[in-house]
Amino acid sequence: MTTTKTFKRSKTARLIMMVPAAGMVLAGCGEKPVEVQVFNSPDECAAYYNPPAECEAAFDDAKALHPLVAPRYASRQECETDFGTGQCETAPVLAANNTVPAEQTQQSQQSSGFFMPMMMGFMAGQMLNRSGMAGAPQQQATANRSPVPNQPLYKSRDDRSTFRTATNTAVASQSGTTSIRPSAVQPKPAAMARRGGFGAQAAQRNVSSNGG
Amino acid sequence: MKRVNSTPRPGWKAFAQSVGFNFHTFDGEPYWDESAYYQFSLQQIEQDLEDPTEELHQMALDLVDDIVSNEQKLRLLGIPQRFWDAVLASWRSKEPHLYGRMDFSYNGTGPAKLLELNYDTPTSLYETGFFQWVWLEDQLMRGELPQGADQFNSLQDKLQQAFSELNLPQPFYFASVTESIEDKGTVDYLMDIALQAGLNCRYIQLEQLGDIDGQLVDLEGFPVQGLFKLYPWEFMLQEEFASTILTSQTQFIEPLWKCLLSNKGILPLLWQKYQGHPNLLPAFFDDGSSLQNGWVRKPLLSREGANIELLTSDGKTLKQDGPYNDSGYIRQALAPLPKFADSYTLIGSWVVADSAAGICIREDNSMITKDSSRFLPHIILD
Repeated sequence: MTTTKTFKRSKTARLIMMVPAAGMVLAGCGEKPVEVQVFNSPDECAAYYNPPAECEAAFDDAKALHPLVAPRYASRQECETDFGTGQCETAPVLAANNTVPAEQTQQSQQSSGFFMPMMMGFMAGQMLNRSGMAGAPQQQATANRSPVPNQPLYKSRDDRSTFRTATNTAVASQSGTTSIRPSAVQPKPAAMARRGGFGAQAAQRNVSSNGG
Repeated sequence: MKRVNSTPRPGWKAFAQSVGFNFHTFDGEPYWDESAYYQFSLQQIEQDLEDPTEELHQMALDLVDDIVSNEQKLRLLGIPQRFWDAVLASWRSKEPHLYGRMDFSYNGTGPAKLLELNYDTPTSLYETGFFQWVWLEDQLMRGELPQGADQFNSLQDKLQQAFSELNLPQPFYFASVTESIEDKGTVDYLMDIALQAGLNCRYIQLEQLGDIDGQLVDLEGFPVQGLFKLYPWEFMLQEEFASTILTSQTQFIEPLWKCLLSNKGILPLLWQKYQGHPNLLPAFFDDGSSLQNGWVRKPLLSREGANIELLTSDGKTLKQDGPYNDSGYIRQALAPLPKFADSYTLIGSWVVADSAAGICIREDNSMITKDSSRFLPHIILD
């Protein structure tokens, strides 16, 4: 009997994520880590053989971003619980609901009533290669040149040695070069999202599944 | 079509755990049951199940066109008026759909009778597409099944193909309710397939979805531009973020127009339009009068057999309580589920994109199939 049979079932049915042995595949999502530098101050940055002007520029970028992305707290006490006594300041009113950098306007005067941690360092993602001072001091131009924007870093109360992004991603425990997945360190607006707007019916009806 | 007793594979439970099938047992009772399987002929599969599935699917899609711009029908289905325009827009702009399942009463002869459509949040996907498939391959390898046995189950192939062709926004998010491990299992499976199709996938608990100025956002405040939600539209339309659905730039799978087809009001509407079709049962919107022998009353919106009342032809009443007593009802002529051994058997028939993609079989001790009904594998063998 030589019939060429067409099967009614899938040719293969493999799993790559649900099966633990192969679970690694998901972890990186194919994203390549990039090198960035983290510093406490522009001076420290310059001491690591970086062009001082670029260190200043990266620091300025981070400082401008700081009020936009720093986590916000309703009270100083709540903020200090996370970041330590004397480590918090009042947060300014956010301009509209603008996304990230834009031009920094004179918004820092008016207090929003919220509190935020002080900036404790910065990440330079757009530093030119160390091959010396390239002409244009601020290669700010094409923002997507580096996948990692310059940004402020913070240190939590119970872990003073670790630099963290505004969204609490630990990036390094010492100054200098570190390797990072760009998607993990994208600055986000600190605007508060409302949450929990879906799911009430499921909770109320107490069903084991919402499918059928 | 017959039921054949079979020896469970030794150690299958440990294997099930290792491949993410954490809900193979339900409240201490078996959910996955391989102590028997069902056997079909190829003709039964192709003529009685596969072809009618695709035909009924097209009939249902044609019906959507009749409903979206008809106030009376939208009202009959209980679609909240503030969403009528959005439902219409999602249909007119041809927002793509991914999958659905229709349930049949079928005993091996005669036309399969459509009991209902699960076209918004169908589950038992993983059991069908993966675990049942592996069971067949295993049993063939062990020599426990005759060589040449096949299965009507191209579900995973078709889902992967659909994910690679749908051109979905990325990252594409998958959401389910935190509490349900069954729902999480279904979503994990879909994500796994989507990943194999090359999509950048992220999971978010449904309750964690955020809203910033009318845009759905993820935990970090990023806009959610594509979302698979294993959560019924009719719930979403009455919850706090209902208005976010109207403003958010988000492509939903299933799309909003699917709320029309997951509604049991579709059954009387199908009957109105295609009265006498061999795969359809007479069905009407419920007028509140008492149920006659040989009829079933079902809520417009319910799942897992909940809140169904059934009167057999000899007048016996079967009633299943449940949490879905707040919508209207329909009544449908009873097509009693066939009895094999001591169990009543229901056939679920999958649709992916617009193709029939396989079947799953559920058994219950009662004529109303429920979330606790056992799942049995099947084979095709002539």
